Amino acid sequence: MIAQRMGFAALAAAVSLGFSTLAVAADKHVAITQIVEHPALDAVRKGVKDVLAEAGYIEGKGLKWSFESAQGNAATAAQIAKKFAGDAPDVIVAIATPSAQTVVANTKTIPVVFSAVTDPVGAKLVSDAMHPGKNVTGVTDMTPIAAHMALVKRVVPNAKRLGVISNPGEANSVSLVTLIEAEAPKAGMSVVVAAATKSGEVLAAARSLVGKVDAIYIPTDNTVVSAFEAVVKVGNEAGIAVLAGDTDSVKRGAVAAAGFNYYDIGRQTGHMVVKILHGANPGDMAVEGVAKTDLHLNLKSAKTQGVTLSDALIGEAKDVIR
Amino acid sequence: MIEARQIAVTFNAGTPMETPAMRGIDLTIPEGDFVTVIGSNGAGKSTFLNALAGELRPDSGQILIGDQDVTAWPTAKRAGLVARVFQDPLGGSCANLTIEENLALANARGKRRGFGASVGAHLREDFRAQITRLNLGLENRLGDRMELLSGGQRQAVSLLMAAMQPMKILLLDEHTAALDPKTAAFVLELTREIVAERGLTTLMVTHSMRQALAIGNRTVMLHEGQVVLDVRDQEREGLKVEDLLHMFEKVRGEEIDDDALLLS
Amino acid sequence: MSQIAFLGAIEVGLLFALVALGVYLSFRVLQFPDLTVDGSFPLGAAVCASLIVVEVNPYLASLAAAVAGAGAGMVTAWLNVRLKILHLLASILTMIALYSINLRIMGRPNIALLGETTVFTPLEALGEAVDMPTYVVLPIALFGLVILVKLALDWFLNSEVGLAMRATGVNPRMARAQGIHTNRYILGGMALSNALVALAGALFAQSQGAADVTLGVGVIVVGLAAVIGGEAVMNTATVFRATLACIIGSILYRLAVAGALNADMLGLKAQDLNLITAVLVTLAMVLPGVRMPFRGKRKGGMTS
Repeated sequence: MIAQRMGFAALAAAVSLGFSTLAVAADKHVAITQIVEHPALDAVRKGVKDVLAEAGYIEGKGLKWSFESAQGNAATAAQIAKKFAGDAPDVIVAIATPSAQTVVANTKTIPVVFSAVTDPVGAKLVSDAMHPGKNVTGVTDMTPIAAHMALVKRVVPNAKRLGVISNPGEANSVSLVTLIEAEAPKAGMSVVVAAATKSGEVLAAARSLVGKVDAIYIPTDNTVVSAFEAVVKVGNEAGIAVLAGDTDSVKRGAVAAAGFNYYDIGRQTGHMVVKILHGANPGDMAVEGVAKTDLHLNLKSAKTQGVTLSDALIGEAKDVIR
Repeated sequence: MIEARQIAVTFNAGTPMETPAMRGIDLTIPEGDFVTVIGSNGAGKSTFLNALAGELRPDSGQILIGDQDVTAWPTAKRAGLVARVFQDPLGGSCANLTIEENLALANARGKRRGFGASVGAHLREDFRAQITRLNLGLENRLGDRMELLSGGQRQAVSLLMAAMQPMKILLLDEHTAALDPKTAAFVLELTREIVAERGLTTLMVTHSMRQALAIGNRTVMLHEGQVVLDVRDQEREGLKVEDLLHMFEKVRGEEIDDDALLLS
Repeated sequence: MSQIAFLGAIEVGLLFALVALGVYLSFRVLQFPDLTVDGSFPLGAAVCASLIVVEVNPYLASLAAAVAGAGAGMVTAWLNVRLKILHLLASILTMIALYSINLRIMGRPNIALLGETTVFTPLEALGEAVDMPTYVVLPIALFGLVILVKLALDWFLNSEVGLAMRATGVNPRMARAQGIHTNRYILGGMALSNALVALAGALFAQSQGAADVTLGVGVIVVGLAAVIGGEAVMNTATVFRATLACIIGSILYRLAVAGALNADMLGLKAQDLNLITAVLVTLAMVLPGVRMPFRGKRKGGMTS
């Protein structure tokens, strides 16, 4: 009797040991870092985590998940990168350009997936976006500017002058403004740029555009987006249509946005991570641009800002705020 | 020879707190004179010293040292000609530098500073020999910080520092005022020795009439920014404090009522 | 803590030891609270990176960075000695101006240096040849550099000119009485201080792959933490010891950061670092009178 019990116990122990060993062997380690905590970057992180969970990698159950934020400090970002390089996870996810650059500087072997980097080639993270070739790939949040300029013309058909507010200190934003200045003329518009180096300056920058522009477009600029309400205020008061590069801004008062949101970018990133966890080589994975865009409209803002939206446009929208 | 011609300094000019600290002071100090300067508070003693040293620029007047008009020269430029011992022992030296470093600073007064070691072995021996004569046992403490020394020791070292390099005038700014009587006497005796040894032209500001008459060959009294008494050599010999007071009353028609001046 | 994380802490610690030495020169030697470093660190990175991407020799580029830093330091000093602006304010003015200047120099907010030839490239090649990974080669090379800089600084501070500079900070009135033109020494000292910080910025950008206009955030606090931390753990009675304390303080700080990052069980995260640093620096400034049992006499605290 006792021998039987002992036997069962031994068997149970062996089986569970076996399972736990299996579990330990199967545990994947994903290390993720961002330069600063901020709703968009946090949304990316959530997207990654959710997709991993859907693929069966849940924190604590088959997945070791390490997250560190650099709190805006470059030296801390460097030490985080070194920590991750030493921990040798299966994948490092680096959100935003400064974090991505320091991670890539500290490891040439561990797979790195960057996210929310607007210009990966300019940031020298990859030399060839189609065939990265090394251990780095990722998702860029480069706005499909040409499509956005077309949207501006659909919303304000007579627009000849487009106002843009941007922080000259934000790498991504500066690249976007350059793109806008290239694409807007193709849509028949000239561009007026107003600068705001911190969120407190956004209101003044918006006001400076009144009388000089027929529509305002706000790119995905952390500084300006964080003070978006100021731009909406001016647009409402002066009857100028305000469009945005990201869809969250529509419920904050923009009349239209054909955007992506950072959560979706995070999900896209998560899919790349899962592929790598399953054995894909990052060097063979082309850098991905924004795959999913949704049209969001705000009819209330349309009224206040003096814009009539066609029924066709409203029909295309994924989300309409009345 | 040092000349002060019609030096005038007014503080806070144009405000309700306007104070004429010096009103046209004329003083000629021939080489070799040891002048003591007395006066009550506000008489202009420290201001005069600061003007001579270059710490402040007079509103009008000229200062000549040797043949040079140094009126516009800042302190650092005048340092080759003027040596000074401050009243505050710690304020007159670098507290958390060592004794030998302080000596090295003084040793380079008036000279171009280069990139050689500030205190080489040769210089250290030189310092040791000099500091031994003070008989304070400091020759083995050259590496100690200045702040570790007592007030009297610091003033003695400061005197040594001031006399290290040639100068046209030695300015002593109430340098025994912060010391106890015994130590003050020691420093005063040291002063007498060093000045006599090297034949230094000296200007010593003091708050004590007794002290002023006991040392040097000439005594000048300032009152309300002007020179009111100037006695030297024969005239000065044998004078006592009461005599000075009588002379003052005669010149000014008023009595001195500064207790500190009378009683010290 | 992994080997990479440990050596990485040493590497970053040595880089910021140059910053600590610069901060020591301004704060301690000259008694000049100097926030310019928040601007001169990224200035060094900006100048160096801008030159490297147009194929200038990286050593020359790094030297140019140091010269630029010296210029920034002199501007601050000039504002103080000539225009009589309070030193702290003068340094803030320069720091603010540098933000725009750095953007102008770079032409954009971020210049990437990944894959470019840097001062470390030959060292990495050397490492490959002897089968030593980059994360080992870099700290060794930086150690050599920092020791060289330290010894040069020690020699300088013990020279006649250096002693005059120290006197300028301790007692400017007495220094002037000894013939020291204190204004010149303040200009020179601030130039040297910020040259060191700018050089550190240039080296940091080259080792971490980019010069970014935001690199300067918090540099002064880290520099102070290193200087004060070093004073807390060792006697700084002589120049040799004082500069050594800066290096040790910087490395200890970075090890503490790495420790916090790796101490999962303590629950400390990188996010908590700003608070921890602030607490550390406050404590070290508030407790100068408290004698640590294993330390000897310490150098006088900062007078305001």
